[in-house]
Amino acid sequence: MNTNILRDPQDRRTFVERCARAAFGLTILPFFAGAAAAEQRGAGFGKAKRIIMIHLDGGLSHIDSFDPKEGASKGPGSAVSTKAGFQLTSFLPETVKVADKITVIRSMAAKVGVHENARYLMRTGFEKRGTIVHPTIGAWGQHYLGASSKTLPSSVAVNHSSAHGNGFFPATYSPLPILDPDAGLANSKATVPDEKAAKRTQLLAQLDASFSKSVPDENVRAYNDFYDTTMQLMKSSDLAAFDINAEKAEVRDRYGRNKFGQGCLLARRLVEGGVRFVEVHSGGWDMHKELEDGMEDRGGEFDRAFAALVADLDARGLLDSTLVAVTTEFGRKPTFDGNGRGHHPLAFSTVLAGGGAKRGFVYGSSDEKGYKAKDNPVTPGDFHATIAWAAGMPIEKEVIAPSGRPFTVGNKGRAALGVFA
Amino acid sequence: MNRIVFSLIATAAVATLSAAPLGKGKNRRQALETPTPVKPVAPKAPTMDLSSPWHVWSDPQGRKIEAAFCALGGSICTVQTRAGQTLRLNLDTLVPADGAFARAFAAKLNESRFQDAYVKQAAYQIDHLIGTTLVSKGLKFNVPVSDEQFVRRLYLDTVGRVPTAEEASSFLGNAAPDKRAKLIDSLLHSPGYTMHMYNWLADTFRVQDEFGKGARAYLFQDWLKDQLAADRPWDALVKDMLTADGKLCENGAAGFLLRDAQMPLDGVSNMLTTFLGANVACAQCHDHPLAHWTQRDFYEMAAFFGATDGYDQGAYGKARKLTNGKGAATGLDKRQVQQIAGVNVFRLLDTGKQELDFPKDYKYDDAKPGSPVTPRLISWASGDAKMPSYQVNSSNPQTLRDEFAKWMTNPENPRFATNIANRTWKKVFGLAVQEPVSDLDDLTKASNPQLLGHLTTIMKAAKFDLRQFQRVLFNSQTYQRAASLTPDLEKGPYLFPGPLLRRMTAEQTWDSVLVLASGREVDNALLRRGDEMQLFSLPGNEMTAANFKVVIERAKEAGMQMGGYGGGGKKGKGVNPQKLMAAYEGVKPQQRNGLLLARASELPQPAPESHFLRLFGQSDRLVADSNTTDGSVPQALMMMNGPIGQLISDSNSSAVVAANSAKGRDEQVDSLYLSFLARKPSITERAAATKSLEGGLALTDVAWTLLNSREFLFVQ
Repeated sequence: MNTNILRDPQDRRTFVERCARAAFGLTILPFFAGAAAAEQRGAGFGKAKRIIMIHLDGGLSHIDSFDPKEGASKGPGSAVSTKAGFQLTSFLPETVKVADKITVIRSMAAKVGVHENARYLMRTGFEKRGTIVHPTIGAWGQHYLGASSKTLPSSVAVNHSSAHGNGFFPATYSPLPILDPDAGLANSKATVPDEKAAKRTQLLAQLDASFSKSVPDENVRAYNDFYDTTMQLMKSSDLAAFDINAEKAEVRDRYGRNKFGQGCLLARRLVEGGVRFVEVHSGGWDMHKELEDGMEDRGGEFDRAFAALVADLDARGLLDSTLVAVTTEFGRKPTFDGNGRGHHPLAFSTVLAGGGAKRGFVYGSSDEKGYKAKDNPVTPGDFHATIAWAAGMPIEKEVIAPSGRPFTVGNKGRAALGVFA
Repeated sequence: MNRIVFSLIATAAVATLSAAPLGKGKNRRQALETPTPVKPVAPKAPTMDLSSPWHVWSDPQGRKIEAAFCALGGSICTVQTRAGQTLRLNLDTLVPADGAFARAFAAKLNESRFQDAYVKQAAYQIDHLIGTTLVSKGLKFNVPVSDEQFVRRLYLDTVGRVPTAEEASSFLGNAAPDKRAKLIDSLLHSPGYTMHMYNWLADTFRVQDEFGKGARAYLFQDWLKDQLAADRPWDALVKDMLTADGKLCENGAAGFLLRDAQMPLDGVSNMLTTFLGANVACAQCHDHPLAHWTQRDFYEMAAFFGATDGYDQGAYGKARKLTNGKGAATGLDKRQVQQIAGVNVFRLLDTGKQELDFPKDYKYDDAKPGSPVTPRLISWASGDAKMPSYQVNSSNPQTLRDEFAKWMTNPENPRFATNIANRTWKKVFGLAVQEPVSDLDDLTKASNPQLLGHLTTIMKAAKFDLRQFQRVLFNSQTYQRAASLTPDLEKGPYLFPGPLLRRMTAEQTWDSVLVLASGREVDNALLRRGDEMQLFSLPGNEMTAANFKVVIERAKEAGMQMGGYGGGGKKGKGVNPQKLMAAYEGVKPQQRNGLLLARASELPQPAPESHFLRLFGQSDRLVADSNTTDGSVPQALMMMNGPIGQLISDSNSSAVVAANSAKGRDEQVDSLYLSFLARKPSITERAAATKSLEGGLALTDVAWTLLNSREFLFVQ
């Protein structure tokens, strides 16, 4: 029994109802009445039906990737022109090829330069506190838009724990963690032969009948539903969404045979299958030293997988309705000491591809050195508000957390509407 | 300030006995290698000297240690040495006379506790206050609970797991009229009680293995368990935590405040909510929009901790330099240095100067932005500040915390006793008298204010002994009623015609599964990882390469696990059972199906992300009180197809072994029902189960079925 009923100024529903209906896809029931799409207007609103959020944990050097600089700030890579008209660095040869499909935001501006806190900020749009945990976009999406699939979860975290992604929303809004993309969903196959499994299930139904009948409790009912859904899922073809082994070898190669590359491929399969929000994590971006090697290795993996994902989605006709967002903890210092760069939150770059974002576009800029965001600064909250806007969420609307404090998706940030086509 | 110094374990002539081997090494406690179970004998009170708790404990091999008796739970006896070290001894491995002494002394201590008559009367008053309210609303109590439901519920609520088939049938077959009261007393003094209470508090205190910067907080965990096992009253326990000094690797009690050392204001907010039910979180940044707390109130309270420093930033920087850049020449291992530095830089120190200022952007006119804050206690009602408990001396920065703790833990503090009474009631009944427990600002909002007042009185009468307090609750007729279905609180307050139907907590579920798989001995496998952390204390707290080398050498010599025990959940890593195994006292937990079968409280804190416990809602310990009992599809997958499903539907699982030893099919099915549900099957259930046994299923399949039944997961 959870007594912390989440208060919403307009929709008051009890926790259990919320949990039973909206969790892991039972009934598709939006809590934001009318799904808002018809009401709201404005560029890009509600275009992104699916979201893949890529987190480069540790701090991607903007100057060595999406915001090349000359002069004292220049790093080991050289600037390369793209057909979209803007430049990237030579560490991103594959991304150069899809530059005409993406929007680069070069004016990210934050103040937090400590890993854990910055990671939290970029994952939730809120500064980290010891008294509350804020939700990820996936949980906000489930709150406002309902469950995205009848059988699959609405949010999945790839190469990452769920890490309280539900925030102050019910735990069932927490992303399903897939720590190994090759292994897929754990425990999804029965361990005994089909015939025996069927007999067991039949006996279970018989033995459980009297309890379920004599105890008509909503929590018990919710569990009955979870078991029913689970049994459906085990039989369902939707389960295949978790199985990247079903992809052709050449496709798997294209994404790169590493955890991040295969994670991106899994993300594509999941959003195709009906998962709304997938976060994919890549570690090892804290390049204080050996930045050149790091950008070749980590950067190479990212470059290959990201470009493959964008091209693949576009080829399948899904790019316009799928938003791929690339983010990181912070940027890296303009001063290159010949080996690496320190943490630098005042200016850095993120990327939005698809889901209504312009193709081949640069939004905002950093100053000449890459030290400070110059035009159209975008805060982490703004970035989240932009994604939420693309997904069709009401970004001004307040939700009252169980502790009684009001919050909005993106922490009252403003959507950077200029990124939308 | 109270400083509890835990000296390192003596290696002298008197070998220290502990409940189990800790491993080899000079600085380790010597222990019994092959425990010989010894039948306890009845105490011979007349010839025994019970005037002092001091006793020389010995094992059949003749090893001895002198220590004072603290408390007894089952066969686990908690004692304290002259050096201040708390130990938990397994009486089954000691000479019979020790067991006799422990039992006699425990009985003597019991005499000073609540008399049976008081328990009856206090419980009656609870029933009366609830009954009157129910009647006034035209409602009735639920029907009395059956023995079957009672025994299962009581085991889960006291020792945190279901009873075994044997435990259940022994209660059910007992005809004594006072068997419920007897079972309550016996379970409250069982080792499982410590484990269950620890899980509850670990959720509230956000207990984690690591506090950041590689700093391991094992000593805090051991300390907390020891306090619970030794019956330390709640007020004393809280006071110890708030007034503790010293390093994370030296003083377990310091762990509570050090948990928030890097976010001290958040720490104050958590503390006020946890111990006083003060809903102050908003006031940290601005005046509370709904409650009467102002930002000024918050800062004035926080100022009591403004002369306390929990994290030595400068020292940490120095330690880092020993392995970074030029420091590489020291030849020290970066991870080892970090680990050692962490538990030294997390330390509580009174700086002698109150340094908290109002924020620079303070926007109210009752204080100047950036000006120093003067400590002041909050009050709930206008008369509060005149109460004797408010007479504190806030002029000496050196004693600010002590003064604050004195006020907070005073029985006459306006909220301290009510808060813990309300929270404990919630643990027992599934819902607090006043919800949410984090907001007791207005006590008239309680669902039954008279009841909350009465509970506060009992808590004070119990002198904050949570065992005695719960004893009253369990003995009430209200508790001994059938469980209610989940109420719709939007329609009005729940008035407690009985306790609530609940899903087992993550810990209760896991611990119950363990008992089904490997029997009740799991209650005696105790994890203890803190002692060796004391080896990490740097001499003089100086971050020099030489000092680190001394510590590393010392740790190596002691055979210590420098890499920790794995788990912790941050990166989703699993438990490393091999490493962890060395840290169990008492019985060593079994390992099966890749699972370490130790109780939730005796595993990494919190369990790793992918662990069964987390899947079933164990808190990640980021936010207080965030265990959940929500369902999910991965849970069902785990029960049906995962290692847990396989563990239980195995012919080696204790429940199946017990069933197999029964004679006929009916008896075998009965045995499984007792194991899982503490009741016998109905005629139709028995028929369905036996029919399935004839139709190709085995007892292991019936076990699988009962594990996956909703009735198993819920507490009636």
